[in-house]
Amino acid sequence: MLQFIVQGRGGQGAQMAGDILANVFFREGKYVQAYATYGGARRGTAVSSFIRVDDQPIRLRCNIEDPDVIVCFDPSLLNDVLLKDAKEDTLVLINSAQPPEYFNGLGRFRIVTIDAMAIAQENKLGRIVNTTLVGAVAGLLGRPSLDVLCEVVSDMSPVKVEQNVKSCKDGYRLIRKEGAK
Amino acid sequence: MNEKNNRILVNGNHAVAYGVKLAQPQVVPIYPITPQTPIVEKISEFQAAGEMVVELVTAESEHSAMAACITASLTGARVFTATASQGLMLMHEMLHYASGARAPIVMFNVNRTIGSPWGFWPDQTDSLAQRDTGWIHYYCEHGQESLDTVLQAYRVAEKVMLPAMVMHEAFYVSHALDIVEVPAQKDVDQYLPAFNPLHRLDPEIGESWGNTVNQEMFYRHRRDLGLAMESVIDVAQEADTEWQELTGRGYGIIEKYRCDDAELVIVTMGSMVGTARDAVDNLRMEGVPVGLLKVKLFRPFPTEAVRQALMSVPKVMVLDRNFAPGTGGFLHQELKAALYGVDDGPGVHGYLTGVGGTNISPNNIAALVREAMSTTPIASSVWKG
Repeated sequence: MLQFIVQGRGGQGAQMAGDILANVFFREGKYVQAYATYGGARRGTAVSSFIRVDDQPIRLRCNIEDPDVIVCFDPSLLNDVLLKDAKEDTLVLINSAQPPEYFNGLGRFRIVTIDAMAIAQENKLGRIVNTTLVGAVAGLLGRPSLDVLCEVVSDMSPVKVEQNVKSCKDGYRLIRKEGAK
Repeated sequence: MNEKNNRILVNGNHAVAYGVKLAQPQVVPIYPITPQTPIVEKISEFQAAGEMVVELVTAESEHSAMAACITASLTGARVFTATASQGLMLMHEMLHYASGARAPIVMFNVNRTIGSPWGFWPDQTDSLAQRDTGWIHYYCEHGQESLDTVLQAYRVAEKVMLPAMVMHEAFYVSHALDIVEVPAQKDVDQYLPAFNPLHRLDPEIGESWGNTVNQEMFYRHRRDLGLAMESVIDVAQEADTEWQELTGRGYGIIEKYRCDDAELVIVTMGSMVGTARDAVDNLRMEGVPVGLLKVKLFRPFPTEAVRQALMSVPKVMVLDRNFAPGTGGFLHQELKAALYGVDDGPGVHGYLTGVGGTNISPNNIAALVREAMSTTPIASSVWKG
């Protein structure tokens, strides 16, 4: 089973990012489960999206306690609660202009950073970084396929479809390039 | 597995709406409340798209929504509504009226904490506090079961002429994307014939409902209601068996999971059943003889089936995501009552787990199993996080 936690703030599109990932894996024939929790039901408060992917039906109805990937929309969300279950091989993808070493003090995880905000702004998406970050996730894991991901981003973007698809591809390619260094 | 085009990825609430669409109710009185609202929003979308022919009545409160359900149902219309938490609390008076009026309404309730304090978390106390209102109660584990159970509930309710409420929990089911198979309309039409009651309010016919009665008539009415409720056990079992023949999916009114030779059986309902299945599999792999009993039908309580399932088990461990101050977990109370008088019956541990929506993992459940196996049960429910 592959397990993701996507952490953002209300209004940033963290839940949508989780829904996009779930839909892509569903289209690829996997069993998926995705849900979000939010404390305040208002903009600015923390929103967690949980995604499980497996080859067999998923029966668990509880929080993810051993994530393979944590996607963090904003470094201010990197607290002990979010990271308490991260292990050495947990991939922590942070939306930040800083290099990964900047976050070494958080603990021994596989930290990767991407300046998703810069990519989003370049593509005229303002502060909406979710499509860039799901692209980066696919780039890091080598799955789901970029083609299916772009198809889903295109289907699920309420506005600015081309810009969202472009951001997704940019996120994917930047991570692939960085990884190849 | 998604090559079949009737398999969709939707959240639990939208799965319910697909079930309602297939049931084709004529009247749906609505009042929004988190985390139920996506159900009625989706129904409203179906109506706007011309996929459902239904009268949506936007009421000014849940109390009024239920009053509209009762009156519409008494005219012979098939009726649906959905609510949660505070909304269900406000309906309370009308819930008794609905069963007394023998109105076979189907309602979906998304289990959510009741204020105060305010919260949006999964907790079954809202619906369990309505256990004595004369409604049939079903608890579901996932979106597919919720969709299927809505259709079974109509079948049962309209046969016995009692209202039915179907539950799943906030977030873990209501807002979780799940893969759901949507049955074909023609199959559902075959399973669920049009609602055509013997009596209905119609100026052309000239019948009425709700006049004052004497003590004898009231007594007979309550006794009849009780007999109808008792008949639900068999009717619900038959409705599930036929659904399984039609769709390949059946749930039973209770389900025994890996109970063979079990020295301890976990008993729970709702979303925690899924997590408990993983806990049981993990423990069995370690050689721990543990099983699981899922209670799907809660009212009427399937006492005889539960007794049969548990009478030869040494220990039972009830997990309640709900709490009645002064008595403890609702399901724990039911289990103690159901097993009363069984010769050399099981010891019953009652654990309050996940109350208020706290997270319960398979590891938490496994730890509780180990604890329960090595301790003597006490009569009251115990707080376990």
